[in-house]
Amino acid sequence: MTTITALGLVLLILMLIIGGKQGWKAFMSLILNFGFLFFAVILIAFHVSPFLVTLGIGIVILAITIFMGDDDLLTTQTAFYASLIVLLILLSIIVPIEHFAMVQGFGAEDSDALEGMSLYIGMNFLQISVTTTVLSTLGAIAEASIAISAGLTEVISQHPHLTNRQLMANGMSIGESILGTTFNTLFFGFFGGFLALFIWFMGLNYSFGEIMNNKIFVSELIMIFISFIGVIITIPLTTLVMTHQRHKKFVDND
Amino acid sequence: MKILKQWFTNKKIVILIVLLIIGGCSMWFVNHNQMFYHDTIAKVTKVATDKPQKQVDTFKNKDQVTQQKLTLHILNGNKKGQDITIKNEYSDSQAADQKYKVNDQIFVKLHHYDGKLGGTIQGFKRDYVLVFLAWIVVCLLMMSMAFKGSMALLSVILNAVLFIFAVKLDLHWQGNHVMAIFGTLAVVFSVLTLLLVLGPSKRMLATLGATILGTGISILISLAVFALTHEKGIYYESMEYVTQVPRPLFLAETLLGSLGAVMDESTDIVATLFELKSIDPNISRGQLFLSGRKVGQSIMGPLVNVLFLIFMTDTFISTLLYIKNGNSWGYTFAMNMSLGTVQSLISGIGIVLAIPVASGLAALLLGRRQSV
Repeated sequence: MTTITALGLVLLILMLIIGGKQGWKAFMSLILNFGFLFFAVILIAFHVSPFLVTLGIGIVILAITIFMGDDDLLTTQTAFYASLIVLLILLSIIVPIEHFAMVQGFGAEDSDALEGMSLYIGMNFLQISVTTTVLSTLGAIAEASIAISAGLTEVISQHPHLTNRQLMANGMSIGESILGTTFNTLFFGFFGGFLALFIWFMGLNYSFGEIMNNKIFVSELIMIFISFIGVIITIPLTTLVMTHQRHKKFVDND
Repeated sequence: MKILKQWFTNKKIVILIVLLIIGGCSMWFVNHNQMFYHDTIAKVTKVATDKPQKQVDTFKNKDQVTQQKLTLHILNGNKKGQDITIKNEYSDSQAADQKYKVNDQIFVKLHHYDGKLGGTIQGFKRDYVLVFLAWIVVCLLMMSMAFKGSMALLSVILNAVLFIFAVKLDLHWQGNHVMAIFGTLAVVFSVLTLLLVLGPSKRMLATLGATILGTGISILISLAVFALTHEKGIYYESMEYVTQVPRPLFLAETLLGSLGAVMDESTDIVATLFELKSIDPNISRGQLFLSGRKVGQSIMGPLVNVLFLIFMTDTFISTLLYIKNGNSWGYTFAMNMSLGTVQSLISGIGIVLAIPVASGLAALLLGRRQSV
C-alpha cells in the first residue's frame, strides 16, 4: 500500500468515527474537489479557454464545498449565492492584477525543475495564472460564507423578527469573530508551503527589493491578498444575501 | 441601498478620504522609488517587434516566438538618464519569458559592448502591485471592521516577522534542526496568534491546548503511517526549491501549513462551548463534549477543502507542463501532486483530530461532573 492510500484510509476512518454522516460527506467532497481540479488541468491541456474553465470548475467546487459542508438549506443556499457574487467580484480584480503583475508561469528559481522540458507548449500562462489564483481562494470563500450564513440562520431561528439592519449588525459581528483565525488559516496555508522557497531566498541573500519583485513570491503574495479580500467582502455580502433569502424561506413555509 | 446609507456615517467618510490620500501617496511612491534600489531600473520607451516565428516542439505543441527590440531609459544609478537598447524574446505562452510594453519598468544588469553601453534583462518591477493590493485590504478592513480587522492583520504581520526570524535561525544552524526550530515556532505562533485574537483567558488556554495537541498527534500518526508504508509513493525529489535535506523540510511545511486551520477550528469549538456554558451554567461535561463535536462536524469539511485547494493549486501549472511534455498521467501525478496530496491528508487528519481534543479540553475545563 502506498503512503497516500494509507493516509487517506486513516483520514476516512477518523472522519467516520468523529464526524459520522457529516464526516463521510466531508471526505467525499475532498475526493470530488480533487477530481474536478485534475479535470480542470486536463480541460486546459485540451485548449479549452482557461476563463471558461475557471468559471465552470470554480462554480462546481463552490457548490461541492458548500452543499456537502452543511445540511440546512437556508444556510447553504445563502452561502452559495453569496460566494458566487464574491467569485465574480474577485475575478474582476484578479484579471487586471495578473496583467499588471505578470507573474504567470515559472520563475528563475524553477529552472532546475524545468530542465529538459519544452516551455513552448502553446498555452496562455497569463490566463492560467488567473485560474490558479481564483481556484486557490475558493475554499476560503466557501468556508467564510458558510460560517456567516450558518451563524445568521441560527440568529434568525431564535429571533425571527429582527430587522434587516439588526441582521446586518449581527452578520458583521460574526464576521469579526471569524476574521482573525481565518486570516491565519490562509497565511499559514500559503506560507507554510513556501518554507523551502524562503530558505532559498535568505540562504542566497536576496535583498528586500529582489524579494518584493520576485515572480514566485509576488505571485504567492497576490494569492494571499486576494484571499483576504475575498474573505472580507464575503462577510457583508453573505449578510446582504441573507436579508433577501430569509423572506423567501418564510414564503415557502406558508 | 438604505443599508449602504446608514453605513456611510460622517466618520466613515473621513476615514475613506484619509485612506484615499494614503493610497495615492503610496502608489506615487512605489512608481518613483527607483533611487532606493541598488539594481538598475529602466523604463521601456520604444518597442520594435519582429515578425513572430512559428515553433513546434517534439510533442507537437505549437507556439510562436517573437523578438522585440526595446529602447530603455535608465531611471537610477550613475548611468541615470542614458538610453540603451536590449533584445528580448518571448513566446505566446509566456511561461518563463515575457512580452514588454511601453512604460513597463524593468530591472537590468548593465555592461559594455565595444565601448557601448548595453544590458541584460533581470526581471520585471512588480512591487507596486503588492502595495496596491495591500492598500485594498487595509481599506476594506478599516471600512468594515476597524478594530478586529487591525488585530487580525497585526497577528498576520507578527507571524510573518517570526517566520523570517525562524528561517534565519534555520540557516544559521544549516538546516540541522529543522523540526526543532519549526516545531517551537509552531507553538510560539499559536500562543501569539491566540493571545491577539482571544486575549489572555481560560478560553485562550483551552484553544491553545487543542491546537498543539491536535497538530502534534496528527504529525505523530502520519510519521507512524510513513514508517509502516516505508514512504512508498512519496517523491521528495519532486519537492520545489529545496536547498536543504528535503524530508524534514517537507514535514515542517506540512506542520506550519495545517497549524492555522487547526487553530481556526479549535477557536470555533471552544468559543461555542464557552457560550453554552454562559447560557446554562449547569451543563454537564458529556453535553458539552457532544455539542463541541457537532460544531466541529460542520466546520471540518469546508476547512479541509480550504487547505486542499491552497496546496493543490500550487501544483497546477507544473502538472500542465508535465502533461504537455508527453508524460503519462500517473507519472505527472507522482512528480507534481503527490506531495500536495500527502500534505492535504495530514492536515485533514489534524483538523479532524482537533474536534475531540478541543471539545474534550473545553468540557473538562467548564463542565460539571456527571455525578453532581
